[in-house]
Amino acid sequence: MRLKKKLRLAASGRMTARGRLRSRYAALVVFVIAASTTCAGDEPAPREAFITNQSGQSLSIVDLATFKVVDEIKIGGKPAGIALSSDGKRAFVTAPKGNELVIVDVISRRVAKRITMSGGPLGIAAHPSTGIVYVADWYAHKISVVDPDAGAVTAEVAVGESPSGVAVTPDGALVLSADRDSNEVSLIDTKMNERIGRVPVGERPFGVTISADGRRAYTANVGSNDVSVIDIAGRTVIATIPVGRRPYAVALSGGRAFVTNQYDNTLSVIDTSALKVVKTLAVGDYPEGIAADPARSYVYVACWFDNVLMRIDTAKLAVAGEVEVGDGPRAFGLFLR
Amino acid sequence: MVRAFALAFALAILLPVAAIAHGPTRQKVIETVEINASPEKVWEVIGNFQDMSWHPAIAKLEGDGENTVDATRVLTLQSGGIIAEKLIKYDVENKRYKYEITDVDVKVLPVNNYSSMLSVKGEGDKSTVEWKGAFYRGFMNNNPPPELSDEAAAKAVTGVYRGGLDALKEKVEAGG
Repeated sequence: MRLKKKLRLAASGRMTARGRLRSRYAALVVFVIAASTTCAGDEPAPREAFITNQSGQSLSIVDLATFKVVDEIKIGGKPAGIALSSDGKRAFVTAPKGNELVIVDVISRRVAKRITMSGGPLGIAAHPSTGIVYVADWYAHKISVVDPDAGAVTAEVAVGESPSGVAVTPDGALVLSADRDSNEVSLIDTKMNERIGRVPVGERPFGVTISADGRRAYTANVGSNDVSVIDIAGRTVIATIPVGRRPYAVALSGGRAFVTNQYDNTLSVIDTSALKVVKTLAVGDYPEGIAADPARSYVYVACWFDNVLMRIDTAKLAVAGEVEVGDGPRAFGLFLR
Repeated sequence: MVRAFALAFALAILLPVAAIAHGPTRQKVIETVEINASPEKVWEVIGNFQDMSWHPAIAKLEGDGENTVDATRVLTLQSGGIIAEKLIKYDVENKRYKYEITDVDVKVLPVNNYSSMLSVKGEGDKSTVEWKGAFYRGFMNNNPPPELSDEAAAKAVTGVYRGGLDALKEKVEAGG
């Protein structure tokens, strides 16, 4: 923590000393990242959550060790979708009302770039190795392929009606989009940037989440109040599991799927082997974006109406705390690093 | 003629762009009122999903299903407008219920996908009633007419809540 404070002081140093400070700062950052990856076991524990506040038009950064908000960055354009680069250095935020993809430098906590998009950018996911970002376009019914370094859309892939959530398989071969108004999931080949398959799911799929082994995908179906479980290789739905009202998104952790039910103020907890709900947990009002930490200790839930980020202990299946964020948090995507 | 053509051309290229510019986002409204009465007493007045007689804008209620989840009610307003609603959650322990609008003409209430929670908290002879709603504006596409804008939706919902809560305070403090 003390080191972190020092880093921040260094980052806010005077203009004249900036160059010197910057190089020292970079060295420290490398050290901090290395230290945190080595001491956390096989998977680095995420240290921060990036919460898009739609009404507040900002991005709240929550330190997960202290579970406190450490910064709030102005975004504009009613931000909704969020993704982190695989190296954890950049956060990608969609601003549907501003038609922008906003890239935030996570280390300096500043907006680094704004890329103008067509239509209504919503769901977003980052490729694990190429750094390419995939953005669902709610109005133009396509997935935009964005090179964040070039700051440009490099390809567009036509999908179903109103794609909302997107996810990339762990091997990076496929992008899945939940095409809300087609009641389908599209499978996109990332080499060809082409739709190579579609799987009919429940009504109005919104969030889509892929398992760590890349075999299954789960969609939260807002219209039919259930979750579709997709066998990705077989391109079929292997189970449809009833959950609460207006399910929004799914997080996977330790053999369980956690589903946010917007109208019920609950999480449905699904056993992913038995493929049925084993518990329903009360959370805040309008739970929406949800993400699991790789250490499998917690899932984090943004509650839109209550303006809080809640954390759920995945072993006890109980709420383990909450922190107030900006107004109208949606955090639609994988928001932890 | 040339000018008209130029204008038409300009509109033709501008319109498709404008049409996909942006859509509505969900809004929220929270209104509260402090009442000099116990929460039990206040809940007695507002806690029945099938009784909205405490709200001055509502002329008639026809319901089905009492206070069980999925119970319905059809409200007829003093203005003649009709709103159909469904109970989502009924929580006696915490003195709150949540419901959604299943059918309303945007001319009656300019909202879409509306859900709401009414609750009372407090201790002794002091209560706070909170009424909060989540909704989209009446016009779900871009460029809404003013009467179906975000502002119009929030203003209408705020008006409903304020009117009900202020009348409730008066009614309860006057002795129920």
